[in-house]
Amino acid sequence: MSEAVFRLRNMLERVNNFHLSSSETCLDILSAVLERKGEEDVVILSKGHSAPAFYVTLHEMGFITWEELLTFADIDGLPSHVARGLPFIEVSSGSLGQGLSVANGIALAKRADGKGEKVYVILGDGELDEGQVWEAAMTASHYGLDNVIAIVDRNYFQLTGGTEETLRKEPLADKWRAFGWTVIEVPNERSAIETALDYAERIKGRPKVIIARWEK
Amino acid sequence: MIESFREAFGRTLVEIGREELKLVVLDADVKSSTRTSYFEKAFPNRFFQVGISEQDMVSTAAGFAIAGKIPVASAFASFLMRAWEQIRNTVARDNLNVKLVSTHSGFSDYLDGSSHQCLEDVALMRVLPNMRVIVPADAPSVEVLLREAVKLEGPVYMRLGRDYAPRVYERPKLKIGKASILRKGNDVLLIANGVMVSVALKVADTLEDKGMRAAVADFHTVKPLDEETLLRMASPVDVVVTLEEHSIYGGLGGAVAEVLSERMPRRVIRIGTTQFGRSSRDYLSLLDRYGLTAEKVVRRLEEVVA
Repeated sequence: MSEAVFRLRNMLERVNNFHLSSSETCLDILSAVLERKGEEDVVILSKGHSAPAFYVTLHEMGFITWEELLTFADIDGLPSHVARGLPFIEVSSGSLGQGLSVANGIALAKRADGKGEKVYVILGDGELDEGQVWEAAMTASHYGLDNVIAIVDRNYFQLTGGTEETLRKEPLADKWRAFGWTVIEVPNERSAIETALDYAERIKGRPKVIIARWEK
Repeated sequence: MIESFREAFGRTLVEIGREELKLVVLDADVKSSTRTSYFEKAFPNRFFQVGISEQDMVSTAAGFAIAGKIPVASAFASFLMRAWEQIRNTVARDNLNVKLVSTHSGFSDYLDGSSHQCLEDVALMRVLPNMRVIVPADAPSVEVLLREAVKLEGPVYMRLGRDYAPRVYERPKLKIGKASILRKGNDVLLIANGVMVSVALKVADTLEDKGMRAAVADFHTVKPLDEETLLRMASPVDVVVTLEEHSIYGGLGGAVAEVLSERMPRRVIRIGTTQFGRSSRDYLSLLDRYGLTAEKVVRRLEEVVA
């Protein structure tokens, strides 16, 4: 067990294991993205319920202390879903399906200003049930937003069961491709995600999605 | 003089766009109806089409605001409300500088019928923390209040009708959050917004012929409500009448009743709707059917006040 997973389990023991699994599968994605992020790049955690993983990552990066981690979901502590005002967090989340649209707005504004920074948006696979994700997928593709990089935490689980039993997502890569995106499929582990991000950044003229498959 | 809400909106957006370079406009495939097409023609690089997807439009507008732009997202009121949860959870909760402007509110989209006639939006927007809710009375008011809304930091919902907009003001000096007193009188107080301001003025004329002096105020800002002006004007009267092209639940009437019942109990008669609309070949026959013409309002007042 990595130190991050240990900390995650320890902090969530006190709160009924709040979104523990979907936080565990998000750890490598978050650390890869947050450490790569340039000063003016933007990260949007659309699956805001992975806030515990986000806080553990902030802790590993030295932004918050262990004591602060333990205030998770306490009335004056760290909010249970990420909120605007936290380090790196530009938009509150918690309600699914909106992050990609927000990412597009930021990306369009940056492009209009002639800025080259990127917008990373982390989505859950269950979240893809929300129709708005696909509205936004069309918008990003229509505008050729190559400064948008989406990462899907493909952990095959959503709230009440397996993703394929709840509402079938496959063939998932084909869906994104059909919407005009370049798809990169990788195992959900740090080095593979980093390689995928390197590759994604070199592709111009289209939005890119990395599908990070949980294979553990 | 009758002018058009949406024409005033479309033309004013272009004028503001000339000075305010951060202004961007988003559309959900209704630009020719809302008249944001004028902005697209003038500033194609600051106009963004997202297709028929109001939810995506609102969240994309939130992204523009986060990036430092001043986004105006516009659609028919009924369909903009489809994005209520996006407005709540992203725009209002994060207090983002997004300007939401609806057109075709109330009965003004008479031909399209009940699906397109929005009589609930003021209530839905008023309940949101951080949100300001503005309902201009006529075309010159749209011009003044839209400029003010763009200058303000934070979310604004502006509710406009389609075309029918009898002129109330010549050169309005309006401020968001400040009611505009149009007529003084101590017998009854008429509080209105939108098209109903012109109706309230007609009602006051009729009442005067019958020997009753009615005060009339344009409460173009439903939130934050100008409570001080309301209390000052309500103080000499026994009856306060609210007039709106909206449900009597949760809109201007609701807001006025809430304040008065807590701070200065008065009898409040809410004129508005309680039902869905219906299609019609003209707008005024709908206002008449739902009791929102001056004649119908006077008759109602005679029934309940007598």
